[in-house]
Amino acid sequence: MKLLAVTSCPTGIAHTYMAAEALQMAAEELGVQIKVETYGSIGVENEITEDDIKEAHAVIIAADTKIDKEKFEGLPIVEGSVQEAIKNPKKLIQEAMKLEKREQPIEKISKKDEKKVQGKKGPYQHLMTGVSYMIPFVVAGGILIAISFAFGIHAAENEGTLPWALNLIGGGSAFALMIPVLSGFIAYSIADRPGLVPGMIGGMLSSQIGAGFIGGIIAGFLAGYTIVLLKKWIKLPKTMEGLMPVLILPLLSSLIVGLLMIYVIGTPAAAMNTGISNWLDNLQEGSAIILGLVIGLMMAFDMGGPINKAAYTFGVGTIAAGQSSSVMAAVMAAGMTPPLGIGIATLLYKNKFTKEEKEAGKAALVLGLSFITEGAIPFAAADPIRVIPSLMVGSGVAGALTMLFKVKLAVPHGGIFVLPIPNAVEGALLYAVAILVGAIVTAFMLGNLKKPIESKDMH
Amino acid sequence: MDIEKLLTPNRITFELKGRTKEEAIEELIEILYKDRVIEDKQEFKSAVMKREKEFSTGIGYGVGIPHGKSKAVKEAAIALGISKSGIEFDSMDGEPVDLLFLIAVPDKSDDIHLKILSYISRRLMHEEVRDRLKEAKTYNQILEAFK
Repeated sequence: MKLLAVTSCPTGIAHTYMAAEALQMAAEELGVQIKVETYGSIGVENEITEDDIKEAHAVIIAADTKIDKEKFEGLPIVEGSVQEAIKNPKKLIQEAMKLEKREQPIEKISKKDEKKVQGKKGPYQHLMTGVSYMIPFVVAGGILIAISFAFGIHAAENEGTLPWALNLIGGGSAFALMIPVLSGFIAYSIADRPGLVPGMIGGMLSSQIGAGFIGGIIAGFLAGYTIVLLKKWIKLPKTMEGLMPVLILPLLSSLIVGLLMIYVIGTPAAAMNTGISNWLDNLQEGSAIILGLVIGLMMAFDMGGPINKAAYTFGVGTIAAGQSSSVMAAVMAAGMTPPLGIGIATLLYKNKFTKEEKEAGKAALVLGLSFITEGAIPFAAADPIRVIPSLMVGSGVAGALTMLFKVKLAVPHGGIFVLPIPNAVEGALLYAVAILVGAIVTAFMLGNLKKPIESKDMH
Repeated sequence: MDIEKLLTPNRITFELKGRTKEEAIEELIEILYKDRVIEDKQEFKSAVMKREKEFSTGIGYGVGIPHGKSKAVKEAAIALGISKSGIEFDSMDGEPVDLLFLIAVPDKSDDIHLKILSYISRRLMHEEVRDRLKEAKTYNQILEAFK
């Protein structure tokens, strides 16, 4: 029989170790194996691994500080104070020996381990780490912007007012952090703490050069693997090792990632933006329905990246003179469809989304209604190959239908909040139909393309 | 383990006079103060007594290991007092303490010192180590006891 134990006292100087020793002595006397992890001022020593947990019968936690029990999920736990472990270690060990090893949850543990182990290797897990840290930023920021819209879509323009403040919190801050957090935590997942700096800086640059979330994903992986390589290549004498985490790694990795982002990613992104704008100008001469379709596809392709920006700017350009425009209507419809479609999909196809995504799906509905396309980004970032085409088709349909129905829009943003504004929309009912059809198409495609969650984790 | 780095000969008294917890702790603080390990006696004492209030460091078997982490400490150090008459220490087993280790740790301590302290703490749990310490008459016998 093998037992595990964790000891920890507030100062972590003496009692942590005394308790550990006492438990080891008592275990020896009682003829059981024990591994004791100590949480002292030195840090964690003799750390319990996942293999230990698999083999173990039970865990003894002898601590006067808070110990994270999550890693022992499924194992029976005996809890006591450090004093008890010092004074009567045998009692704790005998109690732990008496506990029944629960078969069912252990299965679950080992399954979770496997997932974790493969996850450590695969880019998919890195991407998911970034996405899961990004989701709350998108939800909080998006809802705050939506509330700001509720005061009227131009309300945020008056500095000092509450809607202005909400927009500054949601759009100016939470959304500004969204891509850096995505990239930062992708890199963190790959390279641990040192990855965070180049990852976040790379993500920030991606926003600034207009490369959007796709640029952000690239920045994250770039930053993570840059750190991995730098750590492998740079060998410092022992006395200078302290410089690695504070100076050398952050400086070199930020420089490398930053330059690559600006020159290798940024230049083509900017060129693409200009090229597409010109192309759209030409397209305007031809069929309106095709223009609507193209704009729709573009809006959903990279949500905030160069292609989306080109389409959006083009749309805003058509209303700049003050008249309402069918292009702007197509742009907004195509921008509302992605989060709406995803929100609907999370309700219809429950086995295709993680628990976290299902929660984010509800927020995505609100964000979609408010024309906050960013609500779809976490989903697209998590599974781009299946999600982006679904979004594009739905948005393309919405854009084309808008043109077909000859809907016109006079304002550049606001989603559902444009309805109370007199003369903002021409053909509101048909507009709603176009958006709804587009969203259902997206949801339907997601439901068919996305793999059920379990099978995806197995690969 | 280099116990002698932390527990030097002049940090040991074989005749601890204090009869109460506070008296005994003060006596050992005085030793460390004279050895220029502690800059501010009052500040360090309050760190030790605060730790003592959480629960007594009298771990039983006649051993007490009061300890404090404070910026008043210049470098990690241990003082040892052996009491012939026993100290009323409010121990876990209610018995008086005859082996009193005072551990002083600076706010920022390196791992080597902390490792030595954790080693000493572990060794003190063994009965034969305690018995040899209680019988020790010389510095070398004390070091031997920890081996």
